[in-house]
Amino acid sequence: MSTINSIRPGQSTEPASIPPDSAKVDKLLNRPPGDRRRSRSVRTYFSVSLLHLVLGAISLVMVLPFVWMLLTSLKPLSEVASTDWIPSSVDTVQTTGVPVPRNYVDVFDYNNPDINHRGIQFARFYWNSIFVAAWATFLQVLTSAMAAFSFARLKWPGRDRVFLLYLSTMMLPGLVMMIPNFQIMISLGLVDTFTGLIVPAAFSAFGTFLMRQFMLSIPQSLDEAAEIDGAGKWRLFWEIILPLSRPGLITLTIFTFMGNYNSFFWPLVMLRSEAKYTLPIGLLFFDSSQGQATHLLMAAVTMSVVPMIVLFVLLQKYLVKGIQLGAVKG
Amino acid sequence: MRTRGTRTVRNVGAGVAFLMPNLLGFLVFTLVPLVFSMVLAFSNWDLKLHNQYKDKHIQFIGLDNFIQLINEPNFWKYLGNTFYLMMLLPFGIAASLIAAILLSKDLRGGSRRMWVSLLLTAIMVGSLLLLLATGQGRSGMVILMASLVASIFIGGAIGGQTIYRTLFYIPNFTAGVATMLLWKHLFNQQSGPINSVLRGPLLGLTDVVRQSPSTLVQAGLWVAAGLIALGAWFGFRRLRRAWADGDCGSSAAVFCGLFLILPAILAVPWSPLPRVGWTVLAVTIGVAIWQLIVAFRGREFYGRPWDGVGSALMTATSLMSVQLVMLGLGIVCYYLPAMAAVPDGLTPPNWLTDYDWAKPAMMLMGFWGAIGSNNMLLYLAALTNVPAELYEAADIDGASRMGKFWNITWPQLAPTTFFIVVMGVISGLQGGFEQARVMTKGGPAGSTTTLSYMIYSQGFEIGRLGYASAVSWMLFAMVLVITLFNWKFGNKYVND
Repeated sequence: MSTINSIRPGQSTEPASIPPDSAKVDKLLNRPPGDRRRSRSVRTYFSVSLLHLVLGAISLVMVLPFVWMLLTSLKPLSEVASTDWIPSSVDTVQTTGVPVPRNYVDVFDYNNPDINHRGIQFARFYWNSIFVAAWATFLQVLTSAMAAFSFARLKWPGRDRVFLLYLSTMMLPGLVMMIPNFQIMISLGLVDTFTGLIVPAAFSAFGTFLMRQFMLSIPQSLDEAAEIDGAGKWRLFWEIILPLSRPGLITLTIFTFMGNYNSFFWPLVMLRSEAKYTLPIGLLFFDSSQGQATHLLMAAVTMSVVPMIVLFVLLQKYLVKGIQLGAVKG
Repeated sequence: MRTRGTRTVRNVGAGVAFLMPNLLGFLVFTLVPLVFSMVLAFSNWDLKLHNQYKDKHIQFIGLDNFIQLINEPNFWKYLGNTFYLMMLLPFGIAASLIAAILLSKDLRGGSRRMWVSLLLTAIMVGSLLLLLATGQGRSGMVILMASLVASIFIGGAIGGQTIYRTLFYIPNFTAGVATMLLWKHLFNQQSGPINSVLRGPLLGLTDVVRQSPSTLVQAGLWVAAGLIALGAWFGFRRLRRAWADGDCGSSAAVFCGLFLILPAILAVPWSPLPRVGWTVLAVTIGVAIWQLIVAFRGREFYGRPWDGVGSALMTATSLMSVQLVMLGLGIVCYYLPAMAAVPDGLTPPNWLTDYDWAKPAMMLMGFWGAIGSNNMLLYLAALTNVPAELYEAADIDGASRMGKFWNITWPQLAPTTFFIVVMGVISGLQGGFEQARVMTKGGPAGSTTTLSYMIYSQGFEIGRLGYASAVSWMLFAMVLVITLFNWKFGNKYVND
């Protein structure tokens, strides 16, 4: 066990102790105000205001590039270089009764011979990305959860040694495996197919590790109770352990989906035909073929970034928890 | 006894069955390729020579790939690029630590009344800004900025940590090709907003530089030299104290001390005035010897030679990065008068298309993402686990803020920091491919080509599979060294 720990020193903050002890946190954060003398509260007021000022300034730096992106995506090409970020007027097109900014329509409308004469099929890239990411995520979460169940809830000889082997592969640079993997794909005839993108992404040591950490925290007595009730291993897995590790499943799902949605290297070498491009590859292709059309590119970038931001804001509770399990590569 | 035996047997079946899907994938896509890659690295497989149209045979050429690699200047250049980009690491970690500490502070002032007054202030300041902007008939741009600032303040006053944390983390969540393309256009020398913002202040600076005597401006180089020496002194002193306290072994201290001398050594060839470089080197070595003498005066050294090398190395390399940045800034200072003398005055750099600026540009982008990264979240979690009693005890002792940070927070966070550093180094060694491919294609003139990009271009663009595998195994060896280092020295932090 000590070797396992030594691989990831972050584990000293054991998963069990990660959900912060709320009493302790309260004590740390909401320190009793003590004597409420006026001078003291004035000082607090100024120091907290200063804190907000600094944090607000950093937030502004974080947000500004995205503001520029959004505003540029609404501009006509002639205004892109202008120092004024605000478009003088937003050209819109009526699409099914709703006015949509022209650039966005242009990005999607690959039948429009003027704009997308090189055949950028943006809607298709979107669909490809979501299709590949969804399948890869589903398969990876399933295989990881099953393997984690085996590592965390079943006892068999040599288990911990196999787990250590799994764990140590997380340290392997993925690049070492890329060239042979590509040759394997060629010999399997999977180059330029979605299968070739999905299958290698369906197995992950990281996912197994994360799920195992979650499953270890479920009381062992449940297994015994289930066994007394005559439940088999599969039922134990499917009806008891899996529902109980829902937070872990959600976290892993988000991570995996995000990773596959943003995945770049593997699709870049695997995909040949434009109709199969995923979003990142499509964006790169867009940039290299029509890089001068900054306004359209920014519309495309906005379209690919905004779903991620919305997803993050909605699901950040799970994400933060997952990352703080100390399991994500720094 | 018998039931126990059968259960174990049944569990083996179930265990293997549950593991099987993942294990199969693991074998096919990790273990087999690993072995395959090892074999490849010793072969001369080149798709130009060995394909279906030519019937040459692939041969095993032993270590030839590695020998060729070591003799190839480009390999060393790309390795240097990789290390150059990794210098971002200490800055990124420091930024994420500062962000985490700021976020972990009580943002509501401790009481409801305070919170309400803060919120009111935020609303007041925000609306005042907006009113001023619109009242004075400013452009839409100013109004936009004012409303953005106002909404951030009000949001922050209401939501506190959650709002700021979300905003800080967004660059990480959207990371990928889209964000890199965005930055590519932000960095664009003509139409990019970064340069249009910089142009005004740089013109102002041009006037200042032109009016002030050039020696005054060039004194910046001397200031930088002084700061480098100061950094070295600070680092040597820290090492010496750790050495004397037994936190740091002799070999570790000496080894890490070498990193602190490195910037001074580099200052000799790089500095435009040789005497500055030599002075810095002389002072730095002098300080090192002085600290050695202080350390040796009537002391006994505890601990084994390589004890505490992890934290010492961390301190030394971080300081080294700061020193190198100082050196760079000093050199820029020296050339400022010449740069301002041209008719156009100082102009913003061409960022990604400039050989010298492409890497700093990428580091700027990286820094933007590093502030609110996963590291910040890890630090936030670790900060809540620092026992409050420690701070209370320190308060009773009347400790200063800095004292509390260096004596309580920093040591308590050491395991987290160590984890972050190790992970950062490992991913830094493998990093740089995506941004290079998207933003610069490894250029200009290979200045942003890292080892990972080299593997890509050799293996997938040129088709020298054997050679590319050899590069990837060099990379693997480096990662392995870091991992072994982590195994050997990481334990100390874990068990503390």
